[in-house]
Amino acid sequence: MKKKKMISVLLTVSMAASLFAGCGAANTDSAADSKSESTGIQTASENSTVTAGDQAFQKFPEVVEVHIGQAVSATDKLPDGLSVDNNQYTDYLLENFNIKVVADWTAASGNDYTQKVALCIASNTLPDAMTVSREYMLKAAKAGQLYDITDLFQQVQSDQVKEVMDSTGGEAIREASVDGRQYAIPAVEVETGGVQVINVRQDWLDEYGLEAPKTLDDVENIAKVFAEKKPAGEDTVPIAGPDKNTKCYTNFLETGTTTCGFDAVFSANNAYPGLFLKDDSGNVTYGTDSDATRATLERLADWYAKGYIDPEMGTRDSSTELINSGKVGMFFGAWWMVGYGIGDAYRNEPDANWQSYPILTDDGKWNVKLGSSTTGYCVINKNVSEDVAKAIIIMANVLLRDESKFDVSEQPLNFWPVRTLMAPADECEYTYNELIKVLDGETAPEDHAGISTAYKLLSSDVSLVKDTVPGYEKGKQLSISDFSTENFGNFQRMYSLLVGDRPYSTQQVDQKVRSCIFSQTATMEKKWANLWSMENEMVMKIITGKSDISAYDEFIKNWKAEGGDQIIQEVAEES
Amino acid sequence: MIQSKSIGSKLFNVVNIILMTVLSISCLYPLWYTFCLSVSSKAAANSGQVSFYPVGFSLASYQQIMGDVQFFRSFLISAERTILGTIVTIVILAIFAYPLSKPVSEYRLKNVVMWIVIFCMLFNGGTIPWYITMVNYGLIDSMIGLILCGGVPVFNLILLVNFYRGLPKELMEAAEIDGAGVWTVLVKIVIPCSVPIFATLILFTSVGYWNEYFQGLVLSSNESHYPLQTYIKQMVVNIQTTSLSMDQIEKMDKLSNKSLDAAKVFIAMIPMLVVYPFLQKYFISGIMLGAVKE
Amino acid sequence: MKNTTVSAPAFLKKKRNSKTVFNYHIMVLIGMIWLFFFNIVPMFGIVMAFEDYNPMQGLWHSEFIGLENFRYLFSMSDSKRVIINTLVIAVSKLILNVVVPLAFALMLNEIRQLKFKKAVQTIVYLPHFLSWVILASVLLEMFGYRGVFNSLLGFFGIEGKIWFSEESCFRQLIIGSDVWKEFGFNAVIYLAALTGISPELYEAAAIDGCSRWKSVWHITLPGISSTIVVLSILGLGNVLNAGFDQIFNFYSPLVYSTGDILDTWVYRMGLLNVQFSLATAAGLFKSVISFTLIVISYIIAYKAADYKIF
Repeated sequence: MKKKKMISVLLTVSMAASLFAGCGAANTDSAADSKSESTGIQTASENSTVTAGDQAFQKFPEVVEVHIGQAVSATDKLPDGLSVDNNQYTDYLLENFNIKVVADWTAASGNDYTQKVALCIASNTLPDAMTVSREYMLKAAKAGQLYDITDLFQQVQSDQVKEVMDSTGGEAIREASVDGRQYAIPAVEVETGGVQVINVRQDWLDEYGLEAPKTLDDVENIAKVFAEKKPAGEDTVPIAGPDKNTKCYTNFLETGTTTCGFDAVFSANNAYPGLFLKDDSGNVTYGTDSDATRATLERLADWYAKGYIDPEMGTRDSSTELINSGKVGMFFGAWWMVGYGIGDAYRNEPDANWQSYPILTDDGKWNVKLGSSTTGYCVINKNVSEDVAKAIIIMANVLLRDESKFDVSEQPLNFWPVRTLMAPADECEYTYNELIKVLDGETAPEDHAGISTAYKLLSSDVSLVKDTVPGYEKGKQLSISDFSTENFGNFQRMYSLLVGDRPYSTQQVDQKVRSCIFSQTATMEKKWANLWSMENEMVMKIITGKSDISAYDEFIKNWKAEGGDQIIQEVAEES
Repeated sequence: MIQSKSIGSKLFNVVNIILMTVLSISCLYPLWYTFCLSVSSKAAANSGQVSFYPVGFSLASYQQIMGDVQFFRSFLISAERTILGTIVTIVILAIFAYPLSKPVSEYRLKNVVMWIVIFCMLFNGGTIPWYITMVNYGLIDSMIGLILCGGVPVFNLILLVNFYRGLPKELMEAAEIDGAGVWTVLVKIVIPCSVPIFATLILFTSVGYWNEYFQGLVLSSNESHYPLQTYIKQMVVNIQTTSLSMDQIEKMDKLSNKSLDAAKVFIAMIPMLVVYPFLQKYFISGIMLGAVKE
Repeated sequence: MKNTTVSAPAFLKKKRNSKTVFNYHIMVLIGMIWLFFFNIVPMFGIVMAFEDYNPMQGLWHSEFIGLENFRYLFSMSDSKRVIINTLVIAVSKLILNVVVPLAFALMLNEIRQLKFKKAVQTIVYLPHFLSWVILASVLLEMFGYRGVFNSLLGFFGIEGKIWFSEESCFRQLIIGSDVWKEFGFNAVIYLAALTGISPELYEAAAIDGCSRWKSVWHITLPGISSTIVVLSILGLGNVLNAGFDQIFNFYSPLVYSTGDILDTWVYRMGLLNVQFSLATAAGLFKSVISFTLIVISYIIAYKAADYKIF
C-alpha cells in the first residue's frame, strides 16, 4: 500500500480534470493517459498516430461497430430521448475512439438477462460482446463460441487495467481462461467486497449501555437485550436474516459476500462452508463438511428459536426493506451496505446510527472468508474482426480511465456498454486511508487532483470528503451525526467507505481464507447446481427449526454419495 | 324451479347464499386490494399497511403513469397484438375446423389431421429450439412473431370442431342441395350459426394474448418492444440484491414503489374486465363441450 | 325437417364431392401451414435430448449420445421428488378442478334469486382473468407472516406461519389457489350443460314428491354426466402439467422438496444452468407420458363409454 501511495504522489501532475461526456476529442487530450508504475511510459494522445505496442487508447481511422447485449437494471432509467446505444457514454466512445455501439438487445438484469444470455448461447447468436457470469462464460468458451483474446488483451490493455489485473496476483486472468487461453475480460472487484462485517444500531447499544460486539457471545447478548427491550416496537428484529433471494452464505463461485447472510458468524467459528479448502498436506475438504460448520448451524438455529433472528428469514421479499423500515438491530453485510445498501433507513430515521464491526473468534482472531476476485466476464464473439475485439478491450480501458469524469446523476454508469467493473483489490482501504489523511489535514484534496491511476474515484472522493463529513474529529469514531446528507449520493459513498470499510481498513486480519478453486470441475458442471440447492435447503431448514441437526448429517452423507466425493477428488487434482 | 318448504331446505338456501357470497368476496378481493394499493400513498403501500382500504389516499401513482412513455407503448403493443392476433386466430380456426368437423366418410384425412394436431399440442422441442426457429424466421421484434409464435391453439380448435359437429346437418345439406359451395356454406350458414362459440373463442384468445408475457420477453430485443404483461412482469419481478452493484442498490431504494406497481397492474386488468361482461352471455351456450355420441 | 335424406342424383353428388374434398384440403392447408412452421419445425429440437448439444455445432452435428441424458436424469436424487411433486399436484388439481366447479355449478343452480345468481356467476370468473404474477403477490401477502390469514388465526389463538414457505402446506396452497382461481370459469361448462336439461323433468319430479337431493341425483347428474366424463378424460393429458406459471411465482428453495415440479426444474436446468440437453430430455419425457395418457384415455372413452372426444 505504501508503494502505491508513493507512486501516486510521484505521478502527481496538476491537470484540471473537468471532463464531461461528449465534449469532444479535446477531453482525452488533457486526460492523463495511464501510466505504468514500473516503466512510466507516457502514452501518446490519440490525435497523434498510434505507436505500435500502445493501442490502449487508439482512435480507429474508421468507425468500428460493436454490437452488444446489455443488462439494464429495472431501476435505472435514462432521460427521454436517450437509449442504451445513444447516451453520453456511446457518444464519448464514438467521438473519441470511433467506436459505434449498437445494442442488439437489452434485458432487465437478473433472471431476464440470464435467460437471454442462455438463449444466445444455445442458438449461437451471440452479440459481439456481452457480460456474463462464470458458468455461461465457461459453457460458451468450451463450445468454441468465444474469441481467444490471450494475446490481444496483453497487447491492448491499458496500464491501469494491467495494474488492476496484477492486483489479484494473476488470479483474474486465470479465472477468465480455459485451458490456458483467455476468453474474457474479467471484471475485478475490490477485495473488501467479500468481507462481511456486522452492522449494529449504535444508538440502540448506547441506549442500553451495551458495548460494541466483538465476538459471537457479544452478538448473542446484544440480540437478547434487543429481543427483550424491543426498541422498535413489537416487531423488532434483533438480527436480520437472508431474504428469499439471498443465501445464508456464499460458495466458492461467488465474489461478494451475502447481504444479511451469516458468513461472518461461520468465520468467527472457524467454519468456511461453501469453500473448498486445502490444508498444508494438500488434502482437499469441503468447508460445509466440518464440525465447526455443524456447530455454527446449531448455534444459529438456537438464535432463531430464541427469536433473535428474523422469523421471516428466507421468505421475505427484501431484507433491506426491513432494515430500511427501522425494525432491525443488527445485520451482516459487505462494507457498502451501511451506506449504499440502506439509504432509505436514513431517510426514514435520520439518526439511525449504523456502525460496522468485525466479528472475532473467541480467542480474538479475525478470520475473513474471501471470494473469487472476479465478478463477471465480458465475452467476445468468436466471429468478430480483430478491430471489433480491440474496440471492446479499449472500451474497458476507457471506462477505467475516465469513469470519474462522467456526470452519472442522470445517466448512471450502468449504461456504459458492456460494463466491466474494475477496481484494484485494495481500492477501498487505500481510499479510506487517503480520506482520513485529508480529514486530518495531512494532505490536501488538491494533491490528488488530476492524477490518473487505477484508483479512479480517489480524486473526486478527496475533494468532497470535508463537506460530507463536517463533524469529523481526530480520534473519535464517526457517527451518523457527523455526516451531512445534503448530497445524498456523496453521503452514501462516504458513509460506506468511512464507516462500512473501517474494520477492513484499520483492523488486522489474522487469516484470509480463500477457496482453493474458483471454477467448476467437470462433475460440478453437471451436479453442482443440484448439490448447492440441496445445501441451501438444508441450511435454511436447520436454522429455521424445520429440521433438526440430523438433517445436516444426512445431507453430508447424500452430498458425498451424489457426486461430492468425486468433486473433491477433481478439485484436488485441479487446484 | 320447485319451492320446497322443509326447514332443511330453507337452511340449505341460507347456507348456500352465504357460501356464494363468501366465494364472490374472495374473488373480488385481489382486485380491490390492487386498487387500494394503487391509490394509497407510496409510504403506506411499501410498509404493508394497506389491506382492506386505501391508506393515505393519493393519485400520485396514476399521475406518474401518465408520464411513462414505455407503459403506453407497451399498452399499444399489447392492444395491437390482442386485436390482430384474435382476428387472425379466429379466422384461421373458423376455416381449419370446418373440414375436421366432417365425419370420416366425408373427409377421409380428418383423423390423420386430427392426430397430427393433438400430437402438436403435446409435443414440443422446448424453449430453446423454438427460439432458434423464431430467430431463423426473423421474427424478433415483429408483430407477426408475437401473433403466430405460439402455434395453433389446439384446445380452441377442438372446441370449435365439436361445436360445428353439433350443428344440425340438415342446414348444411339443404344449402348444398341448393348448389352452394363449401365456402359459401361455411360463411353463410355455419359461421352465423356459431356466434356463441366464436364469442367464447374470441374471449379465450384475447385473454391469452393479453396475459402472455414469456414470448413477449424472449422475442423482444429490448424494452421498447415489450407487450404490457412483459413490461409489468419485469417491473414487479424481485430484484436480486446479490447480483447488484452498489450504485444499483443505491437506485433501488429510491424506486421501490408498490403503489405505482399496483396502479400499472390495475390499468393492465381494465381491458379484460371491460370486455368480459359483454361476452359472458355467450359463454354458456358457447362451450358445448359435450361429446357427440356416434 | 324430417326428410332430409333427399339425395341428389348420384353423378352430381360424386362431382360435387371431389370438388368439396378439394376445398376441404385447402381449408386444412391454411391451418396446417401455421401448424407446420410454428409447431412442427421447432419440434425437431427434440433431437437435442439425445445429444450432448453444442451450440457451435448446431442441432444436427452435435455429438449423439443416445439415452445418456435420460439415464442421468433418472439417476439424480431430484428426479424422483420432482416427478412425485408433479404427479401429486397435477392429479389433485385434475380431480378438484372437476369436482369443485361441478359442486359450485350445482349449488349456484339451486339459487332462486336470479339477480344474485347472475352477480355471483359474473364475479367468480374474475380471478381467471388475472395472471399469476398479480395473484401471487396478493396471496403471498395474505398468507404471509403479518397477513390477513394469520390475524384471523390470531383470534382463535393459533400461532401464525408463513404459509407458502411451509413444506407441509405448500402443495395444498398451490392446489387450493389454482382451484380457487379457475372454479368459476370451469363451472361455465357445467352451467352450460345444466341449461340443456329440460325444466319439465324437474317439475315432473316435484310432482312425484322428489326432494331436492333426489332430483339432483336422478336428473341433474345424469343430464350432465357426459360433460363430466369428457372433461375428466381431456384432463388426463394434463397429468404432468402441474402449472409452471403458478408455482414459479410462489415457490422458494424452502419448499423445493414439495413444490418443485418438472417444468420449474426444466426451466432452472435449461435457462439458468445452461444444461440444454438435459432440460430437453426432461421436457420430452413429460410429452411422451402426456401423449400416452391421452391416447389411452381416448381409447378408454371410445371403447368403454362409446364417447368420441375428437
